[in-house]
Amino acid sequence: MTTRRQFLAGAAVAAMAPSVAFAQSRTVLDVYIDGDTNIQDLWNNVVKPAFEKANPGLTFNVTVTRGVGAGNGTIAERALAALEVKADPKVDFFEEYDPRRPAGSIDKGLWVDFTKSSIPNASMINPASKDLAQRLAYRGSQVLIAYDSAKVADKDVPRTFADLVKWAKANPGRFAYGRPDKGGSGRNFVVRAVHEANGKDPSIFRADNFDAKLADERFGKAWALLRDLHPAIYGNGAYPPGNTPTLQLLANGAVDMISAWSDQALQAINQGVLPKTVKVVQFQDLALCGGFAYSAIPTNAKNMDGALKLANFILSKEIQTAVVKEIGGFPGVSWENLPADLRSAYIDIIPISIPSFPSGEWNQAMNAGWYKNVATNLAP
Amino acid sequence: MTTDVFESAVPPSVAPPRSRRLSKRFGEAAAGYALVAAPAAVLFGLILSPAVLAVIDTFTIVTPAGRTFGLDRYAAFFADGYSRANFIYTLNQTILATSATLVVSFAIAVFLRFGSGRVARTVQALALFPLFVPAIVAAYALTRFLGPNGLFQILLEQVGIRGFVSPYLTPVGPFIGFVWEAIPLPVLILTAGFAQVSSHAVEAARDLGAGPLRILHEILIPQAKRSLLVAFSLCFLGIFGSFTIPYALGPAAPEMMGVFMQRTYGQLLKPDEAQVQAVICFMACAVVGFLYVRLVATSKG
Repeated sequence: MTTRRQFLAGAAVAAMAPSVAFAQSRTVLDVYIDGDTNIQDLWNNVVKPAFEKANPGLTFNVTVTRGVGAGNGTIAERALAALEVKADPKVDFFEEYDPRRPAGSIDKGLWVDFTKSSIPNASMINPASKDLAQRLAYRGSQVLIAYDSAKVADKDVPRTFADLVKWAKANPGRFAYGRPDKGGSGRNFVVRAVHEANGKDPSIFRADNFDAKLADERFGKAWALLRDLHPAIYGNGAYPPGNTPTLQLLANGAVDMISAWSDQALQAINQGVLPKTVKVVQFQDLALCGGFAYSAIPTNAKNMDGALKLANFILSKEIQTAVVKEIGGFPGVSWENLPADLRSAYIDIIPISIPSFPSGEWNQAMNAGWYKNVATNLAP
Repeated sequence: MTTDVFESAVPPSVAPPRSRRLSKRFGEAAAGYALVAAPAAVLFGLILSPAVLAVIDTFTIVTPAGRTFGLDRYAAFFADGYSRANFIYTLNQTILATSATLVVSFAIAVFLRFGSGRVARTVQALALFPLFVPAIVAAYALTRFLGPNGLFQILLEQVGIRGFVSPYLTPVGPFIGFVWEAIPLPVLILTAGFAQVSSHAVEAARDLGAGPLRILHEILIPQAKRSLLVAFSLCFLGIFGSFTIPYALGPAAPEMMGVFMQRTYGQLLKPDEAQVQAVICFMACAVVGFLYVRLVATSKG
């Protein structure tokens, strides 16, 4: 039986153990991640060992904020408060964060301006990702069309939205997209139809210009388009409830073509969940929507040098290749900076542009309208 | 359940002969009330009062001129063809699936009443198995089994049957899911009900030359009527309010009310409309719930 004294002695040793490890002169950066498990795994299993190897004396500790309060937003607020009282914000690097929040934090000088800081690799960043100077694009994802090349002939692979409609009608029941409110792969396909019906101009939809009457008019044209496609969809117009159920229809051969997230589709192909014959393609006239993930660094980071080194490191060829290979993401740097073989393997999906569609009111009105006008078999 | 607890706490209406017994009775009743006070307080505080407030909300119309009461929000629900279609679809699905479940469960329960040995035990285990399978797992399994190019279709094709149309993402999908998920409860209730049917009565009828159908019709069904009604109401309530099965297996539209409500609330961010949908669902279920409560209350006889 352990005596109380023995127990206390043991506890004291246990309590000291981490501080002993700490005492070895390695600078530990605090990295905050709000992303899903695939991103957490990428950072813990790929970025961390490679970063430690490339930068002796430097390492980082990942803290996951996903699902806790406002996630990284809470940590950013803490950093802003620390800036005002000149305290240690206890954060050196945000894996993904939009410095537009907390409001005014950019003006107060909370965020590092990447155009003025010493990150050599930043010159390789894809110009399509251009946003605030305080945001560093390092990975991206986009919705695209996935098809089974064993069933769809090369000459029939759709390069435009109109091509796809033509193919789907010629092959009824062989195309599917998900419900727009249940996952981005379905939503961004519907968004693309909205763009198609409105002069292929994504810029007319902004977060601050919603108007119910305008929405009826613009969406109405898209509903006509999608309603026309409806009978040619899998199961005479059955829409799977989410990204994964849509992928499953392609995986089990129920359909030959779907809309899918690039990272999910590429990962599924790599893992053998989707057959090797599945290929992906992006529309060349106007791409399906997608976006970049942007990192941010607070100016009061205690280990600024280390944080900048980390920022530079994640833009290196090694990590950017891992982003493509490990999580099926898009690189933050332009594709010509990646190995030639990788580039040629993904030639069909390299986006020329990455359009976006605002969340909020436009999105809600679109989803509500889709259910009433496209999915239902009621007379309009 | 709740009804039972309340009822046992109520002192019987027969007049007590002596005052000593009266005070004893009073003490027992007080203890009973004290015991139910805590759950009753939780029920009223956390469930009933917010529900009542929400119901009042649905009748409140806020205009720039002030608050008025009216049925406008309900009128809007029923004026909208899409909402109406969802409601009717939910009723249809519920009634069809409940009826099918009862027919299947009844057959299983009759078999269990008269069957014995290993076969009966196996059937019982199989019939109760869905009780231990979460709806999300069942939905996924059914998708793989009955989905396009799923196991069922492959088996059919092995024996030369082609042209199978998968029920996945059609109204038939959730129907099958409901029946599969719902079977255990009525089987339990009906087997318990049949257990009360005296074997002597059945044997006597048999001796007098009654066939199985006659026994079923004149002995089993009349005696198990109450169990059947209880099973019906519990099944109905469960299926009406279901979410996972219709979400994962059903069509995008029409939607079952559970799915529709969740989308209205969480996706379209219209809690006031979701409230109206919820109250309408509650009304539909209250009719069946009333039947159930009455049955349970009168069973004390």
